[in-house]
Amino acid sequence: MGGAAVALDYDAELMLRVKEGDGASFAVLLEKHRSSVIHFVYRMVQNQAVAEELAQEVFLRVYRSRSTYEPTAKFTTWLFRIATHLALNSLRDGKNQRYEDRLDEQTEDQPARQLADRRPSVEQSMVLEARLDEVRRAVASLPAKQRAAVLMHKYEELEYSQIARVLNCSESAVKSLLFRAYETLRARLAYMA
Amino acid sequence: MNCPLETRENAALLVSHAARELAPDMAVRLDRHVAQCAACSQFIERQQAVWEALDRWRPEPISPDFNRRLYARIEELDRQASWWHRLTSPLRPMPARHAMPIAATAMLLLAAGVLMDRSRVPAARPVQAQVEMLQPEQVEHALDDMETIRQFDRAMRSDSPDPKM
Ligand SMILES: [Zn+2]
Repeated sequence: MGGAAVALDYDAELMLRVKEGDGASFAVLLEKHRSSVIHFVYRMVQNQAVAEELAQEVFLRVYRSRSTYEPTAKFTTWLFRIATHLALNSLRDGKNQRYEDRLDEQTEDQPARQLADRRPSVEQSMVLEARLDEVRRAVASLPAKQRAAVLMHKYEELEYSQIARVLNCSESAVKSLLFRAYETLRARLAYMA
Repeated sequence: MNCPLETRENAALLVSHAARELAPDMAVRLDRHVAQCAACSQFIERQQAVWEALDRWRPEPISPDFNRRLYARIEELDRQASWWHRLTSPLRPMPARHAMPIAATAMLLLAAGVLMDRSRVPAARPVQAQVEMLQPEQVEHALDDMETIRQFDRAMRSDSPDPKM
């Protein structure tokens, strides 16, 4: 992940320019990290509208903190610490509908859509949709901290040391969290091979 | 090499191996073992199946007006900050380049005053000067950040204890 380290240094440099009042550098940081923050938060809370609202708050906090920013950690570690904090708070406050309820609604909605869609690939689409639904449910079933660790590891490719700083624990605790999380996921998803 | 599945710590190596995170020499050693260990081979196969299943979960498209909404909020934030700045600017300390000669002059006058009348109380107090050095938004940010960190750490602590984390 050497390439990522170089990129992160560049991010910190950009943030220092933002600190000096350079709005263009903020725009660069936003473009670079917007998708990963939104996607991470979306997979945490499994509601796109809530995810975008929380991601807006993440970048607002980045902007608001510019005057006190010090590059003591990698920029993405800081960014994901803010994002994780907000996602966990949102889950705790129950601002978004519970995953299981929402996923049940999605599943109930499906027959109507499937009746309307009579293309030849409908059976295949149903299987794919069912599998995707199972993936979302399996991730939603993980305790919040394990979920955050898996999402940062699998999709955002954060290093163990970064995940540890985001979750405020040791690297060995992160490895243990991931091992338990993947153990659960193997039990639920390995049949898909 | 011993079977990694003998301990949880080493079994985590198999997870890293399936994610292709291991250094090449370690990956080669592990591959050699996996090739002759049915349990490890099955573990890797199942872990890769999970990896592929997770790959199927594509993110939702982002609203086209995401940036516009964010910049509108930033603009509002800046507007409020500049309003706050104007409101409190008479209370703010002067820039250092202006303040230094004035402070030096004040010190000279003060020293002269003390020499002339030792019974008088000095006009400037260092504690007050320190308080004035804090900008209002610095205090606001610091309190906000402290609250954020406090909430985050509380969230981490109150999360399920170790076996269920
Ligand atoms: Zn083995």
